Amino acid sequence: MGLEALTPVQQAARNARLLAGVLVSAWLLGGCAGLFPQTAAMRDAPPPDIPPLVELKDVPFFPQDEYQCGPAALATTLVASGVKVTPEELVPQVYLPERKGSLQVEMLAAARRHGRISYLLAPKFEDLLKEIAAGNPVIVLWDQSPVGSWHYAVAIGYDFDAGDLYLRSGETQREKVAFPVHEFMWRRSGYWAMVALPPERIPATAEEGRWLSAIAATERAGGAQAARTAYERFLNRWPRNPAAAIGLANANYSLGQLPAAERALRDAVEWDPQSVIALNNLAQTLADQGKHEEALRFIERAIALGGPHAAAVEQTRSSILAKQKQRQ
Amino acid sequence: MKKMICRMLVLLMIWTPFQVAQAGMIGTDQVVQSSSALERSAVMNFVSRADVAGQLASMGLDAATAKDRVAAMTDEEVRYIAGKINAMPAGADGAGILLLIIIIAVIWWAWKR
Repeated sequence: MGLEALTPVQQAARNARLLAGVLVSAWLLGGCAGLFPQTAAMRDAPPPDIPPLVELKDVPFFPQDEYQCGPAALATTLVASGVKVTPEELVPQVYLPERKGSLQVEMLAAARRHGRISYLLAPKFEDLLKEIAAGNPVIVLWDQSPVGSWHYAVAIGYDFDAGDLYLRSGETQREKVAFPVHEFMWRRSGYWAMVALPPERIPATAEEGRWLSAIAATERAGGAQAARTAYERFLNRWPRNPAAAIGLANANYSLGQLPAAERALRDAVEWDPQSVIALNNLAQTLADQGKHEEALRFIERAIALGGPHAAAVEQTRSSILAKQKQRQ
Repeated sequence: MKKMICRMLVLLMIWTPFQVAQAGMIGTDQVVQSSSALERSAVMNFVSRADVAGQLASMGLDAATAKDRVAAMTDEEVRYIAGKINAMPAGADGAGILLLIIIIAVIWWAWKR
């Protein structure tokens, strides 16, 4: 059929087909690698040790209200981790009215207020799949421009051979998105992804230092009880980490468990005799239990080491001396 | 006058220091932070936290809510968002994905026909 015989509608269809053809051939020719480099790399070298098919069917679904995918996505992961909460209750904790959305930092922060440890994943597609395979739903941030805006969704499964990701997203309970399409939207958030786990669990892809900081963040946000459990699990996995022992001690201290705090700090001092913070906190904990002489021995060691906490250490020493005087 | 008092109260509330440490004990966040971050954090507690709480409050939150929200952030996170809240991504919309799916579906349909 010659071009002159085509109606405008047919011609439009032909143009659309031509465009689609160009796009698809570009994908097939590997020109796609630039648009979704990690998908392309995974296709060539599939990540070892992950099951081909996973779906976390028990993860609940909260259809989002207008603009409120942040609270909905957060509620999805929090409830899956055992917290009793609704998206409505999370709105005042993450939603920013004038931005009509939720900031990434606040998604991480809000989970801590519910006694969870929030962890930002490394920007790797492989890590996303590993977390899902380990049973952890993952919140991802998509940039849907030009046809939409920023959007949080919760990845709950995948079929590696078919190249599909399953998500709880917006008003869709089980959204199936092809790996390249997902990566195309995900890439523009810098591959932003987080998990929010109960303190007994450690993410499948956790790095030692970053996981410790994540626990400390929950401790700081008033989650001493959760942090205590998480530090204990941390020390089972990475033994003899003095910073984790200090964290465990501080959590115990703020829960009023002074003997437990003392034990952890003695460990910390043994593992790192040069830790000014461990020495200072041990001295304080001993003094609080009336063991002033031993406290002074440790605080003198801390003073001899100097460093950025010298002023705080000096203050601890004078308060111990004052207490001791009061006693006599 | 009443309005002014209200405003002053809001400001006062935001500017009350963010107290977390306990007397004599040095916090875990001091252990896990890098040393350069450590030097900045002392000043930070008083300046940036209140700033960020103020910025959140100016975007439609009341002072107490804004303060609670900032209190759940780490020093690093506070530094990261200070002054940039307007320019940061705010995940919001679920409708877009539908459009995207329709566009992709249309392309496929046109291709397969």
